[in-house]
Amino acid sequence: MSAAPGLERPQVVSHAQQSLSYTIFDCKWVPRSARVLCLGSAARGSGVVQLYELRAARLELLREIEKPKPIKCGTFGATSLQQRYLATGDFDGNLNIWNLEAPEIPVYSVKGHKEIINSIDGVGGLGIGEGAPEIVTGSRDGTVKVWDPRQKDTPVANMEPVQGESKRDCWTVAFGNAYNQEERVVCAGYDNGDIKLFDLKTMSLRWETNIKNGVCSVEFDRKDINMNKLVATSLEGKFHVFDMRTQHPTKGFASVSEKAQKSTIWQVRHLPQNRDIFMTSGGSGSLHLWKYEYPAQRSKKDSEGAEMGVAGSVSLLQNVTLSTQPISSLDWSPDKKGLCVCGAFDQTVRVLIVTKLNKI
Amino acid sequence: MPLWLREQRWQQTLSAVYLSLPLRGARATPASIFCTERYLKVSIPPFLFEAILYAPIDDTNSTAKIENGNIFFTLYKKEPAMWDSLTLENVDKEKLQYLRENAVLKAHEKAKEEREAKKVMKEEHKKYALEATMKLEEAERKRIEDLKEKERQKVTKELELWRNQQKEADKYKSTQKERELHQEIGKLKERKNEKMNKTTIPNERTSKTKHKHTKGHGSCSMFSQNLKEEQLPAPRSAATIKVNFTPRVFPTALRESRVAEEEEWLHKQAEARRTISADLSELEDLKEEEKNPDWLKDKGNKMFAMGNYLAAVNAYNLALRLNNKLPLLYLNRAACHLKLRNLHKAIEDSSKALELLTPPVPDNESARVKAYVRRGTAFCQLELYTEGLQDYEAALKIDPKNKNIEKDAEKIRHLIQGTMQGS
Repeated sequence: MSAAPGLERPQVVSHAQQSLSYTIFDCKWVPRSARVLCLGSAARGSGVVQLYELRAARLELLREIEKPKPIKCGTFGATSLQQRYLATGDFDGNLNIWNLEAPEIPVYSVKGHKEIINSIDGVGGLGIGEGAPEIVTGSRDGTVKVWDPRQKDTPVANMEPVQGESKRDCWTVAFGNAYNQEERVVCAGYDNGDIKLFDLKTMSLRWETNIKNGVCSVEFDRKDINMNKLVATSLEGKFHVFDMRTQHPTKGFASVSEKAQKSTIWQVRHLPQNRDIFMTSGGSGSLHLWKYEYPAQRSKKDSEGAEMGVAGSVSLLQNVTLSTQPISSLDWSPDKKGLCVCGAFDQTVRVLIVTKLNKI
Repeated sequence: MPLWLREQRWQQTLSAVYLSLPLRGARATPASIFCTERYLKVSIPPFLFEAILYAPIDDTNSTAKIENGNIFFTLYKKEPAMWDSLTLENVDKEKLQYLRENAVLKAHEKAKEEREAKKVMKEEHKKYALEATMKLEEAERKRIEDLKEKERQKVTKELELWRNQQKEADKYKSTQKERELHQEIGKLKERKNEKMNKTTIPNERTSKTKHKHTKGHGSCSMFSQNLKEEQLPAPRSAATIKVNFTPRVFPTALRESRVAEEEEWLHKQAEARRTISADLSELEDLKEEEKNPDWLKDKGNKMFAMGNYLAAVNAYNLALRLNNKLPLLYLNRAACHLKLRNLHKAIEDSSKALELLTPPVPDNESARVKAYVRRGTAFCQLELYTEGLQDYEAALKIDPKNKNIEKDAEKIRHLIQGTMQGS
């Protein structure tokens, strides 16, 4: 933490932490509550879902659910606020949607992929965004599939490698651009550094690029608006912020990149209450809080008269080291500004509060 | 001989002696005055004034004022008594000397003591300063800690407040929903039957959630979900998008590749293809295609395949004259020489090929293996078995799975052992 002159900067205060007996892969806030969901893999190879409640600076365990396969990722993104069903992807490639009140039998289940589902995202639920609720999963088998919970067994969109092409693991997926009922976009990052943007309205590849290092995490700053910014983090401590408002026919989107930590940046998460602030978590157990500043002009004309985007700049607001192991998952609470939960490979889940975000 | 100053005038009271000394034009400085308890000396070369005082004085408090060519001494007596005279009269030389020396010694000692005292003072001051700074820093640190603590507590309190609000909100919502639910049940009983037929998935859910008390939300959701079904768009029609991945010259991600070396190799290859030797005079007779090293290489390969090794060598020679940077030309010419039993030439060519095949990258693996094998064979045929074995082992290191190389290496080892035993 910074010294006296920096006390006007946001501080990251550790509020509560809990030691776990399993490896935690993902942690999520349950919407509209002070509850945290932890997903992971127990030592004996089974999946664990634990529900904690935040009470007076401690995390109290409410429920523990065991599943046959280790669980890698989960999201509440595609359910309504009343139902709050959890969609999970596990090590076997199964996509399940659970009702946490009755978790014995999934509400929806499909063996979506042949290999582990690395990343999952949901859109259309929680009162955010418009259109049908959909879930996208990205897997090590190189495919990205979009599912609608109302349609059994088959995905509504499938992004797979061309026949005969050697596949690359898909490490991360994210929804975006869901500002009306028809528009929707899926961004996928792969382990060879490819980032691909698929447009679901036209069912086509809208843009692709390669950032040389494997892409660990992508996220749009907001899912439910005309796509504005996309942050992609990669190995070797680099992340790129793309300005998604202006697409140039050949050069694609403008970007600014920053080398932050010497280790892999595992996750990036935007603050739900302010889309220009985001936090990155790194392989050295550190968290960095960043602010994006827009340039004076967001687009300009190039020599042929085509519109080209202009990327802004990123500044570091705060950084803190919490653990010696990588912090693999991070989630902001959508209800309380500055409250976030993070899970690290040292089998600890921590609740943190970031102060002074109002003053930014 | 110094000039004595003797024109002093003096007065006295009970406790002090006032002495005034005119300096005949000499300039006096504080350094020229030397005073101890019983001895007073003023020395301004070449002038000199000294006095053995009648009684001891307090030399620390006594003062001397230098003014207008005079020195005014104010000497405070140790014992208040009237002096008969300023100086002791009738003092013999020895006593004088002794007194002088004594005085000097005393002065020395005094100076020393003063120095020591000063040192001690300094140490104490330093210690004090250090302690003071430490205290200040402590205070500062504490202040920061307190600020942080306060922040933490404030934030914790806010969080608690917020959570309580959430709980209240939840409770309120649930009671409201119960009321609404009862109202809707009557209205929707008929519509429910219709919906049951249309949608299949909600069917399963309703049977489960109807009897469970999930904060009053579960049963409500059944109805509101059915209503919303109409407002949501239908599931997307399934489609597939085919993707291609970024091709790389070397099929490994950045972290796995040895980019620098591979770049170097590619660069070298590109360069090699571009160099053309400037030996134009003889080449003018040749046809266009015969000036192309690749075409010549192919020709050479064909000759080799047909068994016409001399022609192949000629073709490679010409190609090398045009471009002597292509390692494959040397490699193939080595093979020809092997067949022609020009073993030394074969060794030369394989060595040249190996030189050109640096840096060692996966791309030129097969070429390097061939070069090592050919050179090894040449060595063995010259009966230089150890060198041959070295080359075979190098080839094996690059390509451990090649059975032929392994077999040949084994054979050579046996041969070496056989000759060693024999000789």
